[in-house]
Amino acid sequence: MACDRVRPLLPLLADGELSLTRRWMVSRHLARCPDCAAQLEDLQTMRTAMRTNLPFHQAPPDLAARIGNVLPREMPPVPIGRGSRLTLAGRTFAFAGSTFAGALAGVALTFLVMNGRADDAMTQAVLNSHVRSMMADHLTDVLTEDRHTVKPWLSARLDVSPPVPDLAPEGFPLVGGRLDYIDGHRAAAVVYRRDKHVINLFAWAAPNTADAGFRQEARQGFNLMTWRHDGVAYCAISDLEADQLQTFSRLVAGD
Amino acid sequence: MAPDDRKRRFELLALPHLDAAYNLARWLAGNGADAEDVVQDAYLRAFRYFDAWQGGNFRVWLLTIVRNSFMTWAKENRTPRMVFRSESPADDGGEIADIVWGHQPRDPESLLLESIDSQTLTRLMERLPAEYREVLLLREVEDLSYKEIATVVSVPIGTVMSRLARARLALRRLWLSNESREAAHGV
Repeated sequence: MACDRVRPLLPLLADGELSLTRRWMVSRHLARCPDCAAQLEDLQTMRTAMRTNLPFHQAPPDLAARIGNVLPREMPPVPIGRGSRLTLAGRTFAFAGSTFAGALAGVALTFLVMNGRADDAMTQAVLNSHVRSMMADHLTDVLTEDRHTVKPWLSARLDVSPPVPDLAPEGFPLVGGRLDYIDGHRAAAVVYRRDKHVINLFAWAAPNTADAGFRQEARQGFNLMTWRHDGVAYCAISDLEADQLQTFSRLVAGD
Repeated sequence: MAPDDRKRRFELLALPHLDAAYNLARWLAGNGADAEDVVQDAYLRAFRYFDAWQGGNFRVWLLTIVRNSFMTWAKENRTPRMVFRSESPADDGGEIADIVWGHQPRDPESLLLESIDSQTLTRLMERLPAEYREVLLLREVEDLSYKEIATVVSVPIGTVMSRLARARLALRRLWLSNESREAAHGV
């Protein structure tokens, strides 16, 4: 391929929008054309600077409540069902007239617990927890970029010692960790970030289960990667692109 | 579906994306108060048309509605904020071969590109035409694919490609001229 054919494809390459064949053709050209390679690097530098420095405006804390108030009102749901801890928490929130977001998270969870099919209860639980961690402003119990703080903190409170690798060089800085409950298990939630996107990495003990390879799933605008290794079940969830979440999961698994 | 089920299902799907919705509205509207109005309107609309959602990526669907709400709001309030220019034929044609990134490789410019702070970047973004600003945001902050951006902005994919290329080029020019100006003033 000639330079003038390659140049317009460089943004598509950087954005992950090239087909495998074209990607291969462009890479072959880049390997022996320093001009085009420099141009790609320049573009990527600019993209990284934007991704790192573009301010992300978070919604004001009371906006969810105000939206809830203007949505057509209905009778509050009666919480029934399996009476999980999360349902109870939701009911308490609602009863106490706590913040709308809190109540809503509880209500949403009740709904999921009631409606989730048994075979994907785990996936739903992970999704709920991810959503709750972002809505209820309870992302971390221990907020630190230092993995040597997060790991012992979690290990001391759980029957698993989750891997907390340093992935900052790969572009996934550590945010912190917290305790969580997934599908009736105490679980470690290790929180990483990719640009503005939060990744929750859940790990819980799954004794007497066989290892299982990566399984990818998309649900409600979020991507999930699950796998099992050495009696520990893992699930990474984020609104990150699927291939980036896969990269992240492979790094965690040391694959 | 029972009405309260419908509402709960909507809230479950829509509220986790509130920050994304607000961020887009905030960038489009340019201030927090107007962004809140736009987001609130968008959520009402989304709830009203919830049954029309065909599955697929809910965030993309929601962001499309946020953008539409903003356009309506901008029209009603006659804000000069978002005058989307009519597209030139070249922009619609999806031809990006003529957009030259244009510089000699390995020059010091590359170094300048790395050193930018949020404040400066925000200022430069604000100087871009609205249609450039939004594609850059959807790509770099929301991480949407070309196809998803095409859905949100309601243009063909070819237009997304060319617009994104032009937007990056425009931002890059502002960026570099900003740097050289600061350098000249000894900042």
